[in-house]
Amino acid sequence: MIPVSSLSARLLISVSLLLVFFFGMTIVVLNSAFREAGEEAQQDILDGQLMALIAAAEPNVDGDLEMPPELSEPRFGNLGSGLYGALTDDSNFSVWTSRSALGTYVPYGEQPSPGQRTFSRIELKDGTPLMALSLHVQWELASGDLKPYTFSVAQSLDSFNAQLAGFRRQLFTWFGAVALIMLFSISMVMRGLLKPLRQIESEISDVEGGNRQSLSDDFPDELSSVARNMNLLIGSERGRAERYRNTLDNLAHSLKTPLAAIRAVLTEQRSSEVTEKIEAQIERMNDIVRYQLKIPAARSKKFGVIALPVKKELKKLVDGLHKVYKDKNPSIDVDLADGIVFRGESGDFLELAGNLLDNACKCCEAAVKLTIAPLSVGKGLGGMRIIVEDDGPGIPEEARAPLLERGMRLDESAPGQGIGLAVVTDIAASYGGTVTISDSTLGGAKISVTVNPD
Amino acid sequence: MRLLVIEDDETVRESLCRQLAAAGFGIEQAADGKEGLYFGREYPIDLAIVDLGLPEMSGLEVIRELRAKGKAYPILILTARDRWEDKVDGLDAGADDYVVKPFHYEEVSARVNALLRRSGGWATSILSAGPVSLDTTRQELKVNDAEVELTSYEYRIIEHLMMRAGEVISKSDLTDRLYDQDFERDSNVIEVFIGRLRKKIDPDNTIKPIETLRGRGYRFALERNQTE
Repeated sequence: MIPVSSLSARLLISVSLLLVFFFGMTIVVLNSAFREAGEEAQQDILDGQLMALIAAAEPNVDGDLEMPPELSEPRFGNLGSGLYGALTDDSNFSVWTSRSALGTYVPYGEQPSPGQRTFSRIELKDGTPLMALSLHVQWELASGDLKPYTFSVAQSLDSFNAQLAGFRRQLFTWFGAVALIMLFSISMVMRGLLKPLRQIESEISDVEGGNRQSLSDDFPDELSSVARNMNLLIGSERGRAERYRNTLDNLAHSLKTPLAAIRAVLTEQRSSEVTEKIEAQIERMNDIVRYQLKIPAARSKKFGVIALPVKKELKKLVDGLHKVYKDKNPSIDVDLADGIVFRGESGDFLELAGNLLDNACKCCEAAVKLTIAPLSVGKGLGGMRIIVEDDGPGIPEEARAPLLERGMRLDESAPGQGIGLAVVTDIAASYGGTVTISDSTLGGAKISVTVNPD
Repeated sequence: MRLLVIEDDETVRESLCRQLAAAGFGIEQAADGKEGLYFGREYPIDLAIVDLGLPEMSGLEVIRELRAKGKAYPILILTARDRWEDKVDGLDAGADDYVVKPFHYEEVSARVNALLRRSGGWATSILSAGPVSLDTTRQELKVNDAEVELTSYEYRIIEHLMMRAGEVISKSDLTDRLYDQDFERDSNVIEVFIGRLRKKIDPDNTIKPIETLRGRGYRFALERNQTE
């Protein structure tokens, strides 16, 4: 069987097949029953006509049988009436044929053996189907002799066939109509029955897309446990990412305070080779901790996401940067697509935007521009492009590639080199995106980051 | 200038306070959030350095509380958590700048000086008014481009007056900022310092940089020079 993915399509196809089978059988049975009953009625009629013929036959003076010129059944006398009669003697010589058969050869079929009657289906030359009945009789003459005769009648089946065809047509019409109504009602019922399934499906995709935190709890009994378990799963996925983040955060915090203490003690010492070496190690440890803390946690791509309206987050960030860079007081021009959301962790978005804007504020002369627009190709996961430009000195071509290398090579990086762009590259990569550096029309660097491209 | 340092790690706090004190700041210190909030509310403070991860009461809460109580002095955050999320939260709560641990002392002192200068309405680290200019990073005073030698107490007073140039500074305010709380306070000392400063800056009594407002205090009277 061809695999069909939709439950309702499967049900409709199965029901249609069953309906075709059962209704087909019913039509066949009803049709043949009707036909048999019809044919029996035809035979009875023919029998009656034959009896009337026999009753009308009279022997003449020569002792031969003769038919009266007018019969009680007028159709025998009307040309082409569809009812034919004939009388033949023993030598198959036609004694009488009805006037209705004038100019038409009616083959009455097989001659019956003496005392027998035969029904047969015959056809006229023009193709008209007939049913014929012949009876072989021994006519007892006045003399007491027995003389054999065969009486035959035949009747056209045209009207019967027309009746049968009409009946069949009605059968098909009614059963067809009933089948359609049944399929329609079944699909209606299915819609109702499958509604919760569709609802759970759309809610799950909402959760995936970050538009919803969990599944609702108003599902029918059969689905409520599924929804409950799904919610537990979503919750534990989210909790896991959060726990991981908190553990890392606490670890970083508890490592950095002692580092700060060591450095504090060191600063008050007379500078020597030893203090410089320790200082370098502090810087290196600090970089490791910072980097590991900032790159995104192993998050669940399916259920960890929340649709974060970036406008509010950005306002806080830009206000904060205005405070920090109050002396330079750069203009931070924010161009935001309406209602744009970031599908992911809010921390990751702030880390991306924060590092990019912070770098730009550091490098710029007076102007920083941030543009956030949806990726036109990005559907579903809500891809976006974050572009940060400044009017600073820019980044020379040959310096670009090393800045964008993924993963900070800790043993190679010089202390204090800064981990901003490495962090941005890693976060973008964890959202399937990339970072590119080019020249801005403002005169400085233009850094373009994509996240969640499809 | 009086600074409040709220930091729970003893080594970090004491080292920072020692170095700031050596640079001429008066220091209050607190080891937890509640104590810090008390100092921040009750003492005359020019700037607070607040660690975010504090016992008793988090640094964020301390900052919010201080701002809610109308305290407008600059606040510098010390934080071990340098995700932007944490920085933005701190700045949003009312802090003005942050320094990430483990920090270099020079970084803290540079930020402190910048914040103090800014809170006095100065855009650059060189406060310049008429012929007088004070380089707050080098702690140098020049009059008509000639350097004037100052003692550390004299420097603290002229810095405080110039930072708030145009404002009236009460004698008790100057005393508060001049001494750590344990010192014996003698208001005459201020008058002596002011007299010495006047002589050093304006030996001919022509510029008249410091005004005395009887019963109210002192004011640095020269117009600030517009930068740029």
